[in-house]
Amino acid sequence: MRRVIIGLSAAGVSAVETLREGDPQSEIVAIADESLIYSRPLLSYYLATKLEMPRLLYRPSDFFERNRLTTVFTRATRIDPQNQRVYLENGGVESYDQLLIATGARPRFPRAAGLEKKGVFGLRRIEDVHGMFERLPSVKRAVILGAGLVGLKAAAALREHDVEVTILVGSRHVLSQMLDEPSARVYEEIFRRHGVSIVTGVKPAAVLGNGEVSGVETADGQVFPCDLVVVGKGVDPNMELVSDTRINTEYGIVVDKYCETSVPNVFAAGDVAQAPDIIRGETWINALWPCAVEQGRIAALNMLGREISYRGSMRMNSVQFFNLPVISAGLAVLTPGPLGARPGEHDETLEERPSESVYRKVFLKDDTIVGFVQIGEVGTAGLLKVLMERRLNIAGIKSNLLSPRLNLGFLLPLLEENRDRFDEVEFQELMDSVGV
Amino acid sequence: MERLYCDGRLCVACHACEVACAVEHSSSRNILSVISTGEFAFPRRLVQGVGESPYRPRVGGVALSLGCQHCSPAACVDACISGAMHKEGGATVCDTEQCVGCWMCVMACPFDAITPLKTAWKCDLCPNRVELSGRARYACVEACPTEALRTAGCESVTDNRQPVTGNR
Repeated sequence: MRRVIIGLSAAGVSAVETLREGDPQSEIVAIADESLIYSRPLLSYYLATKLEMPRLLYRPSDFFERNRLTTVFTRATRIDPQNQRVYLENGGVESYDQLLIATGARPRFPRAAGLEKKGVFGLRRIEDVHGMFERLPSVKRAVILGAGLVGLKAAAALREHDVEVTILVGSRHVLSQMLDEPSARVYEEIFRRHGVSIVTGVKPAAVLGNGEVSGVETADGQVFPCDLVVVGKGVDPNMELVSDTRINTEYGIVVDKYCETSVPNVFAAGDVAQAPDIIRGETWINALWPCAVEQGRIAALNMLGREISYRGSMRMNSVQFFNLPVISAGLAVLTPGPLGARPGEHDETLEERPSESVYRKVFLKDDTIVGFVQIGEVGTAGLLKVLMERRLNIAGIKSNLLSPRLNLGFLLPLLEENRDRFDEVEFQELMDSVGV
Repeated sequence: MERLYCDGRLCVACHACEVACAVEHSSSRNILSVISTGEFAFPRRLVQGVGESPYRPRVGGVALSLGCQHCSPAACVDACISGAMHKEGGATVCDTEQCVGCWMCVMACPFDAITPLKTAWKCDLCPNRVELSGRARYACVEACPTEALRTAGCESVTDNRQPVTGNR
């Protein structure tokens, strides 16, 4: 059995470890265009000089040997599922019995002129940060295109270098894929207080400069002079290598609940995979670290023949800016476009803002949670997530859902009533131990 | 591997386990010092009233002392972006030097067993307690007056647990 994995970030690493644990013998070949295993979500911390390079490496340095992994450090360019082959940029060809595509995603660049100029960066790969480090001594002003998570992380990190930062946002508010308008306003205030300018409702038309970045011009003719541009507008899946194959794609590579594509023995996981989504009831890309790790493991278990089905992913993200944490999960936004909730997907919201920096909101549909946002106090997010992913009817506990003191003990009787939705040993033990 | 287990029929919500846990994870490991100097001490488990409103559980009701369940595979480990949260043997352990405080683990934990302090704060199964203090293996178990808290061997639990539903 020869198993080939393309990509060695969250999903690929998780798959390698699961495969090696379940099958000590078979050959595992990993194709990756980077030879370092590092955490992409930590890059903004590295940019902010909050941690040093070694802390980006989330696996021990003997990862390759320990997992007896054959590595090929190049880019995979094309897959031939008929003949079970992967073609490589370095001219090589790898044959496989089973293939996992974990090629991830890349920053989505807007349609604007001049994005190839020196001084324009994404924040996705380690060389992005090293490139910015090189320029930073001469950077006074930076413009961030997009106010998604990456855009805001970049903005906060650049403030640590005393760079003047302006964020240009196409939407009406920041984090439009993660927060609704009232929640986003809480964050905008904090960013402004930390010296970040936020300009909403503008589209970049061109990056100005003669080879090197000197500014950004918007579609409505405003010019923002700067020496650095960071693009943080979300990501696009790296799925070109399956074009012209029978592998089914839509927004990403479509997989079933076994993380298998439409072609047998070809699996996909992580940011490239459009996998079942629990809340939406259809397949979706949730380009998030926990989903990638879980999908990598599920794909690997099925490659091992364990026939394990995936409960499905859901959008959920947690981050902290300027010491203010935020967690957002499920259908927590109502924006047009493929990522937001569609009209009718919420029928009720519960919300509370007990202080300036604390905000909580739960989105309901037919008395089940379909999304939530917590800002400032995030301690009960795990419990809301359980109620949401198991689709429990919360009609009887609505008045307690926003409480920062919500706890598992309080919820246990409700969980017990829905015992059939909990197959984890840990939950069964808890239910047994209280005899509820 | 051993696991900590609370029998809700025996728990009287006395909070002795919380106090013992907080003291055990303080720098002095001494309750008098914690009280007199006000040094930082915070429990890694919480007594919770079953079905009761989420404030102080009432003495005499059904209660549970809850902390990390040391799941395998663990949702918090999957969610950790820094590699701080990891498995050591059967235990789920947070390397606080590596933790960046993003709270992905807090969001992922279905047992509400991780507290976002400076770094992720959770049950660490009292590492080295016997060697350091010569006392019993777990502070909370030692403190429990009704023997509601005990250790259970993993043989009572299905091996190779998976976070999944159904078969193909």
